[in-house]
Amino acid sequence: MKYNKSNPIFSSYQNNTNLFDEIFDKNENVRPTYKKILELYSDHSIQDFANLNEKAKASFFNQGITFQVYSDKKAQEKIFPFDLFPRIIEAKEWETIEKGVIQRSKALNLFLWDVYHKKNIIKEGIVPMDLISTSGNYLRQMIDFNPPGGIYNHISGTDLIKHSDGKYYVLEDNIRCPSGVSYVICNRNALKRALFGVFNHYEIQTVTDYSENLLEMLESVKPKGVDSPTCVLITPGVYNSAYYEHCYLAKTSGIELVEGRDLFVEKDFVYMKTINGPKRVDVIYRRIDDLFIDPMEFRKDSVLGVPGLFAAYKKGNVTLANAPGTGVADDKAIYTYMPQIIKYYLNEEPILNNVHTYHCSNPDDLKYILENIANLVIKPVDEAGGYGISIGNRLTKEEIEKVKMVIKENPRKYIAQPIMSLSVHATYIDETNSFEQRHVDLRTYTLLGQDKEFVLKGGLTRVALQKGNLIVNSSQGGGSKDTWVLKK
Amino acid sequence: MAFDYTIKYKSENNYENPVHEAYWQFLVTPENNDSQELLSSNFNTSVDARIENSINGYDFETARIHCKKPFEKINFEAEFRLLKKEMNPFEFTPTLDNHLDYDLIESLLFKVEFESFLKETDLTKLTEKNKDIYLFNKDLSIFENLDALNKWVYIQLYFKTGVTDVGTLLDEIIENRHGVCQDFSHLFCAIARRNKIPTRYVSGYLHQGEGFFGDSQMHAWVEAFIPNIGWIGFDPTNNFLVNHNHIKISHGKDYNDCAPLKGVIYSSGKNETKYSVEVSYQQ
Amino acid sequence: MLARVANDLFWMGRYIERAEHTARFVNVNYFSSLDAPNKLSQSRPFVLNSMYAMVNERVEDESELIEEDVLFNIGLNPDKIYSIISCIKIARENANSSRDLISTEFYESINKFYHYIMSYPKDTFVKNGLYDFTTTVSEHTAILRAKIRSTLLHNEVYALIMLGMNIERATQITRIIKTKFDDAERAIGGYTNPIKNSYEWTTLLKCAESYDMMRRLYRKTPTQLTTLEFLILNPDCPRSVMNSINQTYTHINQLDSLKLHSTNSSAFFIGKMRSEYEFKTIEEIQESVKKFVEDTLNNLVKISSKLEEEYFNY
Repeated sequence: MKYNKSNPIFSSYQNNTNLFDEIFDKNENVRPTYKKILELYSDHSIQDFANLNEKAKASFFNQGITFQVYSDKKAQEKIFPFDLFPRIIEAKEWETIEKGVIQRSKALNLFLWDVYHKKNIIKEGIVPMDLISTSGNYLRQMIDFNPPGGIYNHISGTDLIKHSDGKYYVLEDNIRCPSGVSYVICNRNALKRALFGVFNHYEIQTVTDYSENLLEMLESVKPKGVDSPTCVLITPGVYNSAYYEHCYLAKTSGIELVEGRDLFVEKDFVYMKTINGPKRVDVIYRRIDDLFIDPMEFRKDSVLGVPGLFAAYKKGNVTLANAPGTGVADDKAIYTYMPQIIKYYLNEEPILNNVHTYHCSNPDDLKYILENIANLVIKPVDEAGGYGISIGNRLTKEEIEKVKMVIKENPRKYIAQPIMSLSVHATYIDETNSFEQRHVDLRTYTLLGQDKEFVLKGGLTRVALQKGNLIVNSSQGGGSKDTWVLKK
Repeated sequence: MAFDYTIKYKSENNYENPVHEAYWQFLVTPENNDSQELLSSNFNTSVDARIENSINGYDFETARIHCKKPFEKINFEAEFRLLKKEMNPFEFTPTLDNHLDYDLIESLLFKVEFESFLKETDLTKLTEKNKDIYLFNKDLSIFENLDALNKWVYIQLYFKTGVTDVGTLLDEIIENRHGVCQDFSHLFCAIARRNKIPTRYVSGYLHQGEGFFGDSQMHAWVEAFIPNIGWIGFDPTNNFLVNHNHIKISHGKDYNDCAPLKGVIYSSGKNETKYSVEVSYQQ
Repeated sequence: MLARVANDLFWMGRYIERAEHTARFVNVNYFSSLDAPNKLSQSRPFVLNSMYAMVNERVEDESELIEEDVLFNIGLNPDKIYSIISCIKIARENANSSRDLISTEFYESINKFYHYIMSYPKDTFVKNGLYDFTTTVSEHTAILRAKIRSTLLHNEVYALIMLGMNIERATQITRIIKTKFDDAERAIGGYTNPIKNSYEWTTLLKCAESYDMMRRLYRKTPTQLTTLEFLILNPDCPRSVMNSINQTYTHINQLDSLKLHSTNSSAFFIGKMRSEYEFKTIEEIQESVKKFVEDTLNNLVKISSKLEEEYFNY
């Protein structure tokens, strides 16, 4: 079934067959999962989509599902652009993803336990010590501390992409304060409102059970001696760009949304200030960074945190989720060791692919790198925030020679990875009033508690709205799609 | 033989504008260890405030004070009683084979084990020009090298108050060759770590009956880890090994882990902190 | 519930109510003055001054007031704390910080309201949008009221918002009475006897959206006596001070049903005030309307600060 051209809404769809298109295969045939929806969407004209798109935007805006952008001292409310064409993931494909992200979360948790206790993985020379000791996120205050339930990364967000080979690769494990899960649910609601008819033809896994699982997970890591724990979510406040999400999660899981100033510590227990006096708090889902949680222990100038909170935590009287110090494991450099980390702790082969990493310090790798530089991304191991990255296919001949020199001079400092190409998905584009190919990724959400693991069946498909752009972050003008995981 | 110590810590904080709410954390309580036993501790403040005993992130005992009533001046007083054992700093079996020790400190296991105290921090950083300012002589034992370093630091710097502060970096200290006990200790730590010996910065009190440097202030010294022996205390400000006159409060990578007073003050304007220490004992 | 959030809910209630009264006061005064029976009531400066008096803006020289400025300040000037736009901005900020406790439906309504006001063009407003703007504000607040009643559990969240709304309503009604009483006095020319059949009484009733109700009950042209009696003491008039205090009393007890009331508590104080008003007669009030108004406003401020001490202290 070839839909291209003959299909009214896809008449001007430019299919670049060098890229992996989620809807069309290399021969421009519609992939089986998408046949029905394409048929259904064909009943609409492109103008219908333009109208629905406008309505969806207005609805997000009216509901206040927005984030703040600050420019010229003025705060502006923006919506996170939402696309009307869902991304569909087959049951079997999803099963692999789900198993894979749980495997990673568990391995990372064991890794964190190890680096804050015996450090066996370092002593055995599997992960270099420098990655820990030079990491700004390694909190020595956490050494030899046992977090309740033995869990560090209660909430993880794993960023995946589908490469041109059609396989999923993990790009990043986010285990500090991963955000975006509320958009998964909002996107589902918005699509239901806009195009309810299509839902009758697919059996789709629900995404509304996230909050109840979140609460169950938080309760599972309560401090010792507490029967029915009081859980709260701590937010930096209404001006934080993820404030909507904090409200949403607190509301739907039925826990209190607090700010630092609502809490205080007395005799190493944490209390919140209520209209009926102080009430003890047992589990804190914190959406503020490590260094801001307690001005007594970390950044003195933090007004977001609670003085004495860290002492209460270390005394075992309150649980923090995620645990402080998880950041050490979501480092770029640690990522490259994920296959080894999984193997070491779980004695399993990694289910999800890591992007292969060549270490310049390895002579064989170095040889390969020097010969294939045009197809590689060269990254310094110790720089963050995208500094010092060279993308091979965008370099001139002279620049390539220069990079080669730099690597040869200091091979320990660099790694190289193949240039990954994100899959593309038909996306409604405002400016051209048509569907076009855009790059997408997928963020999944995993919860890890005591004897509990949960992966939200669905995820945030982020779209790079600018043509050819690979950066999907919302701060860079990215949008998102409803993501359907089909039932078996 | 034991010494019955009484330590008085007093501080006075003045604020330019009224403070509406404030938290302080004092890290001034002597720790309990093999050579010292804390008998009692007592805190008082001049304002109506809650005083609680707690811990800091490295599990050292702290006193945390929370005040919610407006004030412009606050006094704190702490009094500790403590039993200190007589110590012989040389009471250990010297290493027979120096090379084994030097091999051990090169091993990955050792480096991982002592990672925190081998790490260079901002306050214990030797920049490129000073990185080889003092290198160990491998023919001597680690202890002998450290003892020599203790003396070297003592000679290299002269004790002078008011010329450095808690944020002064080693470059400046090495160049100007003066400072107080923090600076002596930071320099010692930096050089020992550079020579692959784990060292920790120690804050505490010094009984100064015998005319040591250390003033009527808090004192700082160093503990270095020597294979097969353990942590040994060096006082580079006085060119001494640590003895019964040294009362330890806490240790860390550098001063920042051991700052005696941390405060979160909801007020504007300047503030001024003065403090004094009195250490006395009966035998 | 968190003390901070309780405070925000309370003030959200107050600001929604305040915006509505301000909008209606401006609307009624402006339009009724256009064909008022006496010259003074009709004069621009007189009306503008009355509006400023209502929002507590000081006026140095009445004759120098510029209509567009006054309207802009009261309606859309974000730098004036009393403006309608400021009220709704703060109300929505308060809704934001208690967003996990209020219903999605209510939030959506207040958010839409906020965006409506934020995007209302200033020029249109001061030139010919006054009627449209102020009536839409009234309508939006009515929607908010309905959403509060019908989409929130009638628990402590509801009680706090209602406490805020009722205390604000009592305050605003009393302030309107004060302003119109002063206007009436001026319109007559400083009469000391009861000001009987002033056009200002009709305006006053309309400002409180109570004209129709009052006419149905008394079936006569409003006089000072009947107007004040109706707006202050009639427990059945949903805009009266008495009615607001009754509701305040109900909601404080809902909030605080478990506590024993010490004589220092807000609940005790509200109960005491309620009893005093219940057995007051209009003749007593007539003796000194001004003093009565002052006392009422002082008591309402006292209730608010007692609530703050007892519940919102964080």
